[in-house]
Amino acid sequence: MQKKRAAFFSQAAFIWLVSCMMYFNGYAQSSISGLVIDASTGSPLSGVSVSLKGASTATLTDEGGRFSISATPGATLVFSFVGYGTQELPAAENMTVSLDVDSKGMDEVVIIGYGSQIRREVTGAVQTIGAAEFKDIPVSQMTQKLQGRMAGVQINQTTGKPGQGMSVRIRGQLSVSAGSEPLYVVDGFPWTGNIAALNPDEIETISVLKDAASTSLYGSRAANGVVLVTTKKGKPGKTSISFNTFAGIQEVPMRGRIQMMDAVEFAQFKKEYYEDEGLPVPPEFQNPQQYDGKTNDWYDALLRKAPLTSYNLSLSSSTDKVYTSVVAGIFDQQGVVRNNAYKRYSLRMNTDYNISDKVKVGFNIAPSYVFDNTPRTDGDRGTGVLFNALHTWPIMPIYDENGELTLYNTMPASTGNIFNYPNWLRAADELTNETKTINMLGNTYIQYQPIKGLVFKSTLNLEYRANRFFFFNPSTATSAINTPVPTTAVSTRQSWENTNFLNENLITYNKSIGEHSFEILGGFTNQRYRETGQRIQADTYVDDRIPTIQAATNINRPSTNNFVNEWTLASFLSRLSYNYKGKYLLTAAIRSDGSSRFGLNNRWGTFPSMSAGWVFSDENFMQGQNLLAFGKVRASYGVIGNNNIGNYTQYPLVNNVINTVFGSTVHTGAAVTSLGNPNLGWETTAQFDIGLDLGFFNDRLQFTYDYYQKNTTNLLYSVQIPQESGFSAFNDNIGEIKFWGHEFAISSKNLTGKLRWTTDFNLSFNRNKVLSLADGLDRVYGTFHITQVGKPFGQFYGLIADGVYMNQEDLDRNPQVPGRSTVGSIKLRDVNGDGIITYGGNNDDRTIIGNPFPDFIYGITNNLQYKNFDFSIVGSGSQGNELLVRHLYSTANLDGVFNLVKDVKYRFRSPENPGKGRFGTTVGGGQITGVERDWMNSNFIADASFFTIRNITLGYNHNFRETSTIKSIRLYTSIQQVYTFTKYWGGPNPETSAQGDGAGDGGNLSQGLDLSNYPVPRTYTIGLNVNF
Amino acid sequence: MNRKLIYGLLLMGLLTGCDKYLDVKPETSLASETFFKRQADFEQAINAAYVPLRGIFNNHAWVLTEMHSDNVYYARNVAFGNEEQTQNLADFNVPTNPSDVAGLKITTNPRVRDLYRQYYQVIARSNQVLATIDDIDFDAEVKNNLKGQAYFLRAFSYFELARFFGTVPIHTVPVSVRQEAAQPLGTTEQLYTLVENDAKEAVNLLKSKTEQEPGRVTSGAARTLLTDLYILQERWGEAETMAKSIIDGGEYSLISEYENVFSTSTGNKNNAESVFEIQFMEGAGGYQSNFMYAFLPRPILAEEVATVFGPTQNQQDISVEGKNIPTPDMIAAYEANDTRKDASIGYVTLSGTLWAPKTYPYIKKYAKPHALHNNMGVNWPVYRYAEVILMYAEALNEGNKPGEAATQLNRIRNRAGLPNTTASSQADIREAIFKERRVELAFENKRWHDIARTNRINEIIVPHGQKIKSSPISYYFPEGYAPPSDAFTNLERYFGLPADEALLTPYF
Repeated sequence: MQKKRAAFFSQAAFIWLVSCMMYFNGYAQSSISGLVIDASTGSPLSGVSVSLKGASTATLTDEGGRFSISATPGATLVFSFVGYGTQELPAAENMTVSLDVDSKGMDEVVIIGYGSQIRREVTGAVQTIGAAEFKDIPVSQMTQKLQGRMAGVQINQTTGKPGQGMSVRIRGQLSVSAGSEPLYVVDGFPWTGNIAALNPDEIETISVLKDAASTSLYGSRAANGVVLVTTKKGKPGKTSISFNTFAGIQEVPMRGRIQMMDAVEFAQFKKEYYEDEGLPVPPEFQNPQQYDGKTNDWYDALLRKAPLTSYNLSLSSSTDKVYTSVVAGIFDQQGVVRNNAYKRYSLRMNTDYNISDKVKVGFNIAPSYVFDNTPRTDGDRGTGVLFNALHTWPIMPIYDENGELTLYNTMPASTGNIFNYPNWLRAADELTNETKTINMLGNTYIQYQPIKGLVFKSTLNLEYRANRFFFFNPSTATSAINTPVPTTAVSTRQSWENTNFLNENLITYNKSIGEHSFEILGGFTNQRYRETGQRIQADTYVDDRIPTIQAATNINRPSTNNFVNEWTLASFLSRLSYNYKGKYLLTAAIRSDGSSRFGLNNRWGTFPSMSAGWVFSDENFMQGQNLLAFGKVRASYGVIGNNNIGNYTQYPLVNNVINTVFGSTVHTGAAVTSLGNPNLGWETTAQFDIGLDLGFFNDRLQFTYDYYQKNTTNLLYSVQIPQESGFSAFNDNIGEIKFWGHEFAISSKNLTGKLRWTTDFNLSFNRNKVLSLADGLDRVYGTFHITQVGKPFGQFYGLIADGVYMNQEDLDRNPQVPGRSTVGSIKLRDVNGDGIITYGGNNDDRTIIGNPFPDFIYGITNNLQYKNFDFSIVGSGSQGNELLVRHLYSTANLDGVFNLVKDVKYRFRSPENPGKGRFGTTVGGGQITGVERDWMNSNFIADASFFTIRNITLGYNHNFRETSTIKSIRLYTSIQQVYTFTKYWGGPNPETSAQGDGAGDGGNLSQGLDLSNYPVPRTYTIGLNVNF
Repeated sequence: MNRKLIYGLLLMGLLTGCDKYLDVKPETSLASETFFKRQADFEQAINAAYVPLRGIFNNHAWVLTEMHSDNVYYARNVAFGNEEQTQNLADFNVPTNPSDVAGLKITTNPRVRDLYRQYYQVIARSNQVLATIDDIDFDAEVKNNLKGQAYFLRAFSYFELARFFGTVPIHTVPVSVRQEAAQPLGTTEQLYTLVENDAKEAVNLLKSKTEQEPGRVTSGAARTLLTDLYILQERWGEAETMAKSIIDGGEYSLISEYENVFSTSTGNKNNAESVFEIQFMEGAGGYQSNFMYAFLPRPILAEEVATVFGPTQNQQDISVEGKNIPTPDMIAAYEANDTRKDASIGYVTLSGTLWAPKTYPYIKKYAKPHALHNNMGVNWPVYRYAEVILMYAEALNEGNKPGEAATQLNRIRNRAGLPNTTASSQADIREAIFKERRVELAFENKRWHDIARTNRINEIIVPHGQKIKSSPISYYFPEGYAPPSDAFTNLERYFGLPADEALLTPYF
């Protein structure tokens, strides 16, 4: 510890440096002037960097896209702009330069951690995307816009709930129980809030850092990858205003929905059920045809067509000293499930102020307000209304004879009904389940440049969030089963606030000596996050119209509480970049993190990385050929961490509300409920990456390839321990997982004439294998999964179904479940060969029956442009992943207590009428049918490979005369979530996966459960952009 | 460079502040290092050690004992899928497989697993108290009483585990790291020794019933536990002495009417006859019992539930399947004029059942009026003074004093309105006590242990199974239904160890 400190102090005392900001280049006297426009739209581009090659002279274009720079005609000018390809052209008076948004030139500016680089000099695996590329995608979240665009980044929309449910995995990173989402850093500030709250219109660029060399400056938070977001800054030149809006309508396509029995089919099933059992058929089912045309489709009734609208007004303005950018947005989305709404009001103001040539300060402020009301749509039986609605008997009425929504649906026990339901439409409509969040983000910095190349920068960042949650379940709406309605009304109020404070102090120095260029960065940062909140749960209301706490008869003591969550992080960081002649590139970086989350014996972690690159196309032997314009190989190695291990996990905790009763008096009780571990630490990932960047035919065809290998060790895991200890788990760092994969990205300008056509394609293969778990532990079981040494993570685990026993001979010849197999029941494979079928324990007949992870994922984007029209189509897909169709335990429950999937019609009924061999006999009750339903088997597993056309957009652009008030307009129409090509039969969304925390179901070890979540709608929109 | 100096100093200041900056302690719970420091901490810790007993007796203990005997059966509700995991206990077909360790067996039955786990929670909490209490100085009398409770609870838990499993891991100190979590199995004898030593400590340390807060364990309860152990071990002389010491202590008495022996939902708790009972309380606090609801045949309509309990504020229909339904054999076991029969067994008619007779017996001794549906405060009797007397009788009889044994036995019979026993030989008295225990302690989780410890499993359970198979309708199966084909094939004295635990320990 002392040693470490000393080392860092000496580092800190050392002088660090860097590249200086573009703005510092100042203005030069004009001698050459011209105009820069967007090649596709013809609109002027402001803020484009214009520099004289081989000199320090540089400027930026103004609002009208105009620039002037002192240069002699014929000298080479370099035009570069984030998100656009760089152009090098000879200087000429009144020149017009068109920059191409689609070409990702090798000289594009790439945002990296704590700085930026020219793409040709990048030695890590980084991908940057400019806002222009995804501006037309009509969705609320940034991550939705990125679907299919990044190699090695798997973005799944697991639920259609507006503003929620995006799962982002960079390079397949997974932990056992620590979080696996990447770190989001907005304008240098690691966010703790939900990135979905960020208005995508505020974004200028997004960079995804994938390898350890790129991420190691984020140290103990870098292992899942880092997503850097920069927001729009003020541009030099005149004031400009632009207004963007779109409006659309969303609906859930019929295709892909789960095919459930209608009322006639269901009644027919029940009739046959009783006939096959040899029981009298209850009168309700004696004539199934009576239900013809009387199906109550509960699932469909919960859905609706819903509008969404978005408005954004932005302004950019500047004087010599002050640069300001303001973006104000309103986003309003009604959900396709009844009573679901999501609204976001946001404002961002970024101001930079040049006090002098040496001192600059900046203030960013970004308040937003997010409103969300979502009925309890997602979740298992008895929780999520969609799952519940799916399996509710279609003969139970939605409306009563007066056209009112029914209150409580029961059927006599003689019909075999054991589940009575509330009306799911009431459960959706009458429920209040709203969260209101006020976000307040403020950044301020001061930057001082005493001499050329040396910059001190100090930042203060504050994120404040106030959240109010209000839940009211009136007496007429519940998601619970078998709870008679009217039920007990329940309210929950929760309010909590989060503060996230970060101070960073950085020194950068850059220097070129001859053909050697250095950049040095050093810094000290500290961050503190604190959440405090309270929750009050009350119930038994006299009147549903007054849901106040005082109107409740009872306060639910065990559910009323305070909570506090706090963590701190103190860090030192340093980076050295060196290049020789711009073709031999070397970067080394290190960060040391001290974290309050780590155990007392293990408080500091150090995360170093090295990377190198060689631009071989600049070598002499590559000259004189036109095929390969650019070629670079790069390699990196680094160690990074994951500290998403929860707060206070290292402490053994005492719960002091384990109360008991003696006589009629309650006595307070207290017990140790978790074991502590003072050695607890971060997860460590050592990552190696080798990459190749090629540009053919003057960069018209660009190709990037990366191979990576990561070894994650010290996985945080709540290791299950035998409960004879009195505890069920121990938080420990265990095991090792190897990840490896290949990523390909191709970017091509297919046509460059009047009709312009570009294609971007990416393809990624991600693999993993568990190398070890804890000592004495070679496998971890989930309810439906196993994670086993030598195998990939979280595989589906169960019995192999081999159809049903077709007849007595088949039954006699094959192994059986003792006492539970019969003619027509499910036939399972005797994997362990002991002659009987067993379920449970280490030596039963279960085996790996499926894999929730894809063989590969891919994305493709095509842009076409002809005159004023443009057209784009984005698609992405996943191949070889499987899902566990969890709802079948209800919807194929052969006891007929739920509505069933249509295919149950083809179940086994007798040796003469054996059905299709998929569903077994209903005869014998749960003793027989329970095996098929409750023993996880391969019938639950479905191939969920898919290719989805995410978006199709058609746009029309028109530029007005320069003197007119309106400079340009753009009209477009688009369809989002156009069509999914898939063979998946388990539900409408092959991307779904129940979300959960830690190692439980839906957690990292248990991915790929389809609980029939909120479907992802298709959206039709029209949009308009006006620039003033 | 002034600025440089300032930066340097700032940095140094930050560095020295680091440790404090990074020390963030939980604020809403105590860490165990700061707990177990005061008398009140240990009082709370011992209270928490009682808590798992609520779950054990409300949900699991009766499934592994009464359901696993000839006293009761389930009332098959064919309109509902099976609850085979509970049925397996009654059908003596609990799936049992060989363990990875030779000679041991495991089962996947969750009822068995949950009971096992919850007893170990009692043990862990008791161990935590015993491991740390002597380091802290406070009032010796209070401390002794707390230690006594911890010893009792640990002894009682191991006694139960030993009777259910024969062999289980032994933990007598708290676990603090992962590597200590799995411990080797103790033999039955080792477990008995542990129970005996702990129970003796408890006898010495605990307050007596008159001094103790009602509901907590007492020295009398510890003596009863010791007597129970001695009888199990057939150490008749020690059993006799111990039982006699309880009787001579004069702190307990028989309540004159059998029907008044059991707690109601809100009263008659820890009464003169009660030696140890599991404490429940009705209401929203989460301390309620609802085992009596599990004992109702189904499907049952709200108004039919009301005939059992009287009305509640929110009476509801109930489906699924009823358990702990008295068997015809059990009903027949009562002699004529035995007042305990009507006090113990009632009848309810279900309009919705597919079982033709429609009128089912149910356990009446716990069916007391209460305010809220499925929420009762009836306590579970673990040890009653009547059992102490029967234990004493058994010990006397085995000590070859059948005459004195008969005297004790008759106290129980006379209270039930029955004449003195006609048995007189040691063998006849032995049988008379065995039968008396069945009816006096019916549905109190005693029957299976009595059958097992007297090695009468084959003698009693095999014919019981044959009766069910030959006449399923007499055992509440609707026409055409029968127990599963492998029923009554697993007549082991001990349950297999939980399979889920076997995955985590090298010892089984």
